Amino acid sequence: MTMKVDPDMSFIKYLKSAGGDTLKNCYQCATCSVVCPLSKDGSPFPRKEMILAQWGMKDKLIGDVNTMLCHNCGDCNTYCPRGAKPGEVLGAIRAYAYTHYGFPQGLAKLASDGKNLPILIGIPAAIVLVLWLISGGMHMPEGPVDFGNFFGHWDFHWLTKTTFFIDIIFLPAAAFSLFAAYKGVSAMWNKMSESLEISSDFSPSAKQFTLEFLWPAIKETVQHKRFNECGTNVDRVKGHLPLLLAFIGLLLVTGYSFVRKDFLGLIYPNLHGPIPLYDPFKLLANISAVALLVGVAILWANRKKMEADGKAAPTFYDWFLIWEIAAVGITGLGAELLRWADFGVLAYLAYYLHLVSIFMLFFYMPYTKFAHMVYRTFAMAFEKYRESSFVQKESS
Amino acid sequence: MDKKYSAYLCTGCGIGDAVDMEALSGVVSSEMNMECKTHQALCSADGRTLIDADINDSGINTVVIGACSPRVMQDEFDFGDDKITIRANLREQVAWSNPADADKEYVQEQASDYMRMGCTQAQKSELPDPFQLEEGTNKKILVMGGGVAGLTAANEAAAAGYEVTLVEKSDILGGKAVNWRQSFPTKAPWTDMETPIVNDLIQAVQDSDKITVKTATEVARTSGAPGNYNVTYKQAGTKSEWDAPAKVGVDEQDAIDKGTMEDPNAGLKHYMDDNPEGEKFGAVIMATGWTPADVSEYEHLGVASQNVVTNAEFEKMAGQGKIVRPSDGKPVESVAFVQSPGGAEHDKDFPYCNSVTSLVALKQAKYVREDNPNGKAYILYQHMRTPGSMELFYKAAQNDDGIFLTKANVMKVEEGADGSLSVEAEDTLLNENLSLNVDMVVLAAGMVPTTKDANVVNLAYRQGPSLIDLDLFDGYADSHFICFPYETRRTGVYACGGVRKATTVDETIDDATGAALKAIQCFESADRGVSVHPRSGDKTYPEFFMQRCTQCKRCTEECPFGAIDDDEKGTPLPNPTRCRRCGTCMGACPERIIGFKDYNVDMIGSMVKAIEVPDDDEDKLRFVVFVCENDAYPAIDMAAMRRLGISNLVRIIPVRCLGSVNMVWIKDAMSAGMDGAMLLGCQYGDDYQCHFVKGSELADKRMVNIAETMGSLGLEVERVAVTQVAINEYHKIPEIINEFVEEIVEMGPNPFKGF
Repeated sequence: MTMKVDPDMSFIKYLKSAGGDTLKNCYQCATCSVVCPLSKDGSPFPRKEMILAQWGMKDKLIGDVNTMLCHNCGDCNTYCPRGAKPGEVLGAIRAYAYTHYGFPQGLAKLASDGKNLPILIGIPAAIVLVLWLISGGMHMPEGPVDFGNFFGHWDFHWLTKTTFFIDIIFLPAAAFSLFAAYKGVSAMWNKMSESLEISSDFSPSAKQFTLEFLWPAIKETVQHKRFNECGTNVDRVKGHLPLLLAFIGLLLVTGYSFVRKDFLGLIYPNLHGPIPLYDPFKLLANISAVALLVGVAILWANRKKMEADGKAAPTFYDWFLIWEIAAVGITGLGAELLRWADFGVLAYLAYYLHLVSIFMLFFYMPYTKFAHMVYRTFAMAFEKYRESSFVQKESS
Repeated sequence: MDKKYSAYLCTGCGIGDAVDMEALSGVVSSEMNMECKTHQALCSADGRTLIDADINDSGINTVVIGACSPRVMQDEFDFGDDKITIRANLREQVAWSNPADADKEYVQEQASDYMRMGCTQAQKSELPDPFQLEEGTNKKILVMGGGVAGLTAANEAAAAGYEVTLVEKSDILGGKAVNWRQSFPTKAPWTDMETPIVNDLIQAVQDSDKITVKTATEVARTSGAPGNYNVTYKQAGTKSEWDAPAKVGVDEQDAIDKGTMEDPNAGLKHYMDDNPEGEKFGAVIMATGWTPADVSEYEHLGVASQNVVTNAEFEKMAGQGKIVRPSDGKPVESVAFVQSPGGAEHDKDFPYCNSVTSLVALKQAKYVREDNPNGKAYILYQHMRTPGSMELFYKAAQNDDGIFLTKANVMKVEEGADGSLSVEAEDTLLNENLSLNVDMVVLAAGMVPTTKDANVVNLAYRQGPSLIDLDLFDGYADSHFICFPYETRRTGVYACGGVRKATTVDETIDDATGAALKAIQCFESADRGVSVHPRSGDKTYPEFFMQRCTQCKRCTEECPFGAIDDDEKGTPLPNPTRCRRCGTCMGACPERIIGFKDYNVDMIGSMVKAIEVPDDDEDKLRFVVFVCENDAYPAIDMAAMRRLGISNLVRIIPVRCLGSVNMVWIKDAMSAGMDGAMLLGCQYGDDYQCHFVKGSELADKRMVNIAETMGSLGLEVERVAVTQVAINEYHKIPEIINEFVEEIVEMGPNPFKGF
């Protein structure tokens, strides 16, 4: 196959500005391909990706499965004799890809640039604040601090006022975010498929897809199988794994809380209000919160160390996610502690910030580093799909 | 000189343990009639005092030292220029070459033979009388070529205080570098291109009162010899009756005389004619540079298009300002630099492609970027050569966003309707075939040395006007890249810069400085009557006993350095300042009339005859091995130091070069009843290591002849052999020598032994 080459110089400039400033150092010795666990015979990863990046071949790279699969273990960075830091370059390519696939484009671009940070914080801060004002709950309620009264109180038995407001803020945001992620991931899937010759009349059903490709990918992610193969940078697992488990824990707690307050609460009114500390779910929530903070602290320190050692360049892409997660954890745990201490105003304020940070984390998920959650999982699914009989039969 | 001899034996370093010193001393005093003293460490202050006392008190002037190898303790056994010192190698070749359990009788005989040979050598040696040019030594330097190399050589020679004449063929000085936009970095951080320094060099030459510049001038001929060259100029591009005549061999001269061949030198002055108008020089520096290689044969690279140019043409365009496309004057946005012709023979480079052309591509890619911030430069290479600190220059170019590098096999370049070019490449690092659309294609034409197709130096020598055998070096003016930098096969002619090797400006400056120093060294050595490298400082030179010369022309033909001219009758006319003292002429001469004061046919022949050959003992066979003193002799010493063991039936005689081995010595050995003779010298051929270039090769040819003669006498041809050995192959020495000995032991003794 012959490819028309017309290097995209702006792409090279972008990669250089987004952590891949060393990409031009690569002189194609392929040491990285020797150490990379993802590299296979005939697919010299990431050597080939490095020269494609040097040549500004954007189109080739955003549809590159391996680039998405790379979990930046850093072996290539460590062994590279020229300090080209292939891992950082791949990170920059992924950052570019998330923006490229992001839907809607305007929001994706907004979320990709540190200069827009005030706007990025401002949007959710304004939305929550406006709704807080509208709800009329913005005054010190009587009694001990109860976030169930954050947006005020009404006597409608079937849905509390606060739950209603939380729902009207977060349900559309979550739906939008999920839709945006779906749009982005399917664009990526299509791009990746371009390199395969697949006929449309022979494709997996939704069930087959989920069971054969997606579920194994999720399982592998949770087990951190590939992450653990990391040679030089195994410390990152110590941060990333608690973080991932914390998110799963908090997801369970949120689900439980939703069921408990929005459904069971209708029958048993005393289930409203703060979940008692002895409740196993509350226990899980608090453990998860601590795990989240510990995990993010480890990753924070790791990143700082890498930057200090010159192994990585500080980028908005990397730091934004760390800040966001830290903010969610600190405001969440802070709100809880302040509630216990009964510092009314401060507790409500912390809760407000908690809501804003959660909003940011999920609303911008499809465009920020957090997007790796979906893009990587689907890339892993794609990898399994590519090796499955659906594709192999066609090509053979 | 009235010689007064004394011999000294050293018992140190294990010699006394291996040999009965008293008996050995007896051999010297009774057989050789020399007083002989023994000391336990001759090289010590005490030992030296012993010898000095004899020199001062008894007027001893010829000293034979039976101790260690002549390659060591040279200062300790230096008794001054007015003394003759001969060293017999008892330590390495006797004590250290025999195992502890060796038969004492054999070892004793071996040591005795070495002392007999040493004393004979002393008797046949004379003190040298250095050669002096009758006219005195001219110390002016002729520099041919006014490019960076020539300008530097002229400046450096002038700075050292010598008069220089610089001859340049074109109308202006500066050579190729005059048209350049920029040159490679020459200092840390090795990333920034520099303003070419050629104008500074031109200025310095013009400002110097020691340098005379002749532009639009060529050298018609250079006759004479180092210290006394006679150079005739002519206007560039014209013909002159003083043009250097082509070589006419004996057969060709016959054909010309019979009228069957046209005289190539018709209308030209004879090579021995001396032009009274000529200018005298002491040495010549050849800095005639290079020309861009012709790449017009590569049709698949679109050479027919105006927009496909060579790197030299591109540099010229860049030097004139912003680069525009030749076909329509459009400012250039993208350029593909094609470093190898690609196609089927894809690993092959363009002719004379080299590291410099790799660097030029990087430099010119930078021009594309300088001229246009959105410019794109593609470098498609098979080999990217960036030696030394130039790796940093490569890195800097690579770091440029708009410079794209890949190994690639370029298959096709085609011009489109709008003048743009499409470049197709296979086997790239991007794992796919590429198709590029560019404004221009630049082909990495190599740098062809001017000596490839022209005589350039135009010598009026018996062996012809050019440097010889340059095909071994692809036409570069070289004689041995590692051993003899700057030297050519013509003593007094030193090459530097692009004519010698593809060089960057930086390397050229180093090169030209080296050549200038070599040129100075050459005529200063001539002035002192001594030889240049590799026998630096040798005061002897070949002397001819002309009354017996038969004008066979072998010496004139075989001299590797063209040192010998001849007269109309063919009588040799030696030029000692061209000579490097290898003795090839001495080895060639069938009349044996050529010899040095301390090295001649009679001397070595007598040494061979001094070896005692038992004629009644089937076991005590005798072998003589003539060993080149440059590589083989040190290799034997090293083998001895490692106690590798060499047969004690062998007697070793060092020679200046295998080329100096006169075949009469082999005859002497065989008729003395010796059982075998071997020559051990340097490798010859394409990768020769011979210090005198041709010596070992000539020896090999001569030995084939001598073997044939022996065969006709009924002697086995295996009794004579020539072997090549490198200095680092000391571990092969026992194998080479002992196997030769064993083969002949099996064959049996020389059937003529005792006759």
